[in-house]
Amino acid sequence: MTAIVKNLQPRPPASSNLISFQGVDLELAGRPILEGIDLAIRPGEFLCVVGPSGCGKTSLLRLIAGLFLPTRGQVHYDGKLVTGPSRELAIVFQDYGKALLPWRTVAGNVSLALEAMHVPRSERANRIASLLAKVGLTHHAEKFPNQLSGGMQQRLQIARCLAQEPKVLLMDEPFGALDAITRQTLQDELLRIVADSGATAFFVTHDLEEAIYLGDRVIAMKANPGRVTETFEVDLPRPRDQLSTPELPEFLRLRRALFDFIKDAEA
Amino acid sequence: MKRLFRNPGRFIRFILSFFVGAFFIYLWQLCADLRLVSPVFLPGPDRAWAALVNGLMRGELGHQILGTVERMLYGWVLASLLGVALGAMIGISKVAREYLTPTLDWIRPMPASAIVPVAISLLGLTDAMVLAIISFGALWPMLLATVHGFAAVEPRLHEVSRALGLSRWSVVWKIALPNAMPDILAGMRIGLTVSLILTVVGEMLGSRDGLGFAILLAARSFHSADLFAGVILFGIIGYISGQLMSLAERHLLRWRQRG
Repeated sequence: MTAIVKNLQPRPPASSNLISFQGVDLELAGRPILEGIDLAIRPGEFLCVVGPSGCGKTSLLRLIAGLFLPTRGQVHYDGKLVTGPSRELAIVFQDYGKALLPWRTVAGNVSLALEAMHVPRSERANRIASLLAKVGLTHHAEKFPNQLSGGMQQRLQIARCLAQEPKVLLMDEPFGALDAITRQTLQDELLRIVADSGATAFFVTHDLEEAIYLGDRVIAMKANPGRVTETFEVDLPRPRDQLSTPELPEFLRLRRALFDFIKDAEA
Repeated sequence: MKRLFRNPGRFIRFILSFFVGAFFIYLWQLCADLRLVSPVFLPGPDRAWAALVNGLMRGELGHQILGTVERMLYGWVLASLLGVALGAMIGISKVAREYLTPTLDWIRPMPASAIVPVAISLLGLTDAMVLAIISFGALWPMLLATVHGFAAVEPRLHEVSRALGLSRWSVVWKIALPNAMPDILAGMRIGLTVSLILTVVGEMLGSRDGLGFAILLAARSFHSADLFAGVILFGIIGYISGQLMSLAERHLLRWRQRG
């Protein structure tokens, strides 16, 4: 049902795009990384990015985050030119171990985002508790990051990002280092969290099935220089299900198309 | 300590290590009793201990210990504050690091004891002079540790701070300083040892009332037992301050422990 409804809805006009790239080139230390990027991301969309390693997926994310600025062209967020990081966009890094403060407890790490937002001390405890409940870390609030498993550390990083109350979640292969079962659990939690918050998601991954499972749309990139070469609309019903969704003919069709694309891109 | 008693092999070695210490004291006693060295220069542990107890009972040793420990702590605290503050200022900015490193590299290897005559000519034979020497000498380990700790912040954490929009001050206070903490504590431990050494030097050269000056006087008047009592006390002060430092480290760096 949802799939049909979505198909009937007209695509929002270009002005209502939350994030847009116009003719963006990126060079780092004189080396071309990205070339001729034109991309529009709709509000509330879950966009996944796939491509061979070195194709500039992460650089694309960093341009949205304002951690990189384009060499040519422009990146707009919410109608404004991106000139630096904004608290409305939260970044979930792949290397959760490096992105957390090892000297702060689980609660303390979430608190960092609240402190940055100048949330009064009296309100912090409640908000931390509800954020930790959202990612299932309620009983680990007083532990330090190195006492947690990888999956729990990544949950903590997600909780800290949610504390920012972001409009956009930028995720750079967030589940790449986790085992299969943990990854599936976190995928479903992420979908639930994104659906609840109405946030827009930009999700970089090299796992094609993960991209199809999570995304409303998958864009595929090629390397040397990095560019977006193909877009796949994912018309699969939500909520998605780890067992039944991957069995749908549409899922299998997309999987085949993406695998063919990647084989071609890496050749 | 708990782990010590869980492992019988370690426990036995722990006990034996005491016997090794006791054996050395016994050797010392033997040397003194056999008069291998004249008793004018070498008292036995029995006489040194008696002098120690006697000095403590009369109260003059207590007074001197207090003076010495106080001087050492003031100098060390001053050096720590200065070292961390200066180190933070240098560590925070790459430009400052590049400009100041050659100067610091030139001043740092200067032996603090060589500064004593300069300090005396500037400050006279005063407590301020001794304090200045201690802080100068003990400053470096803290300063360098802080600079290093600030410079070695995980680049990812800088990105996290930028994404969160943390102010520059917050980055220093909440990220760079805790990140430098293990280095700073290691520097403070070295600084503590340096402080004790320079307290003795400062008291001896500045004739300030304290344990260091007391052992110098004892040596000059051939009161070898008093001299050794003082040396033993220095050992105890060094040991206790080191243990307190370990305790502080274990508490402040508990996030490093696994499990």
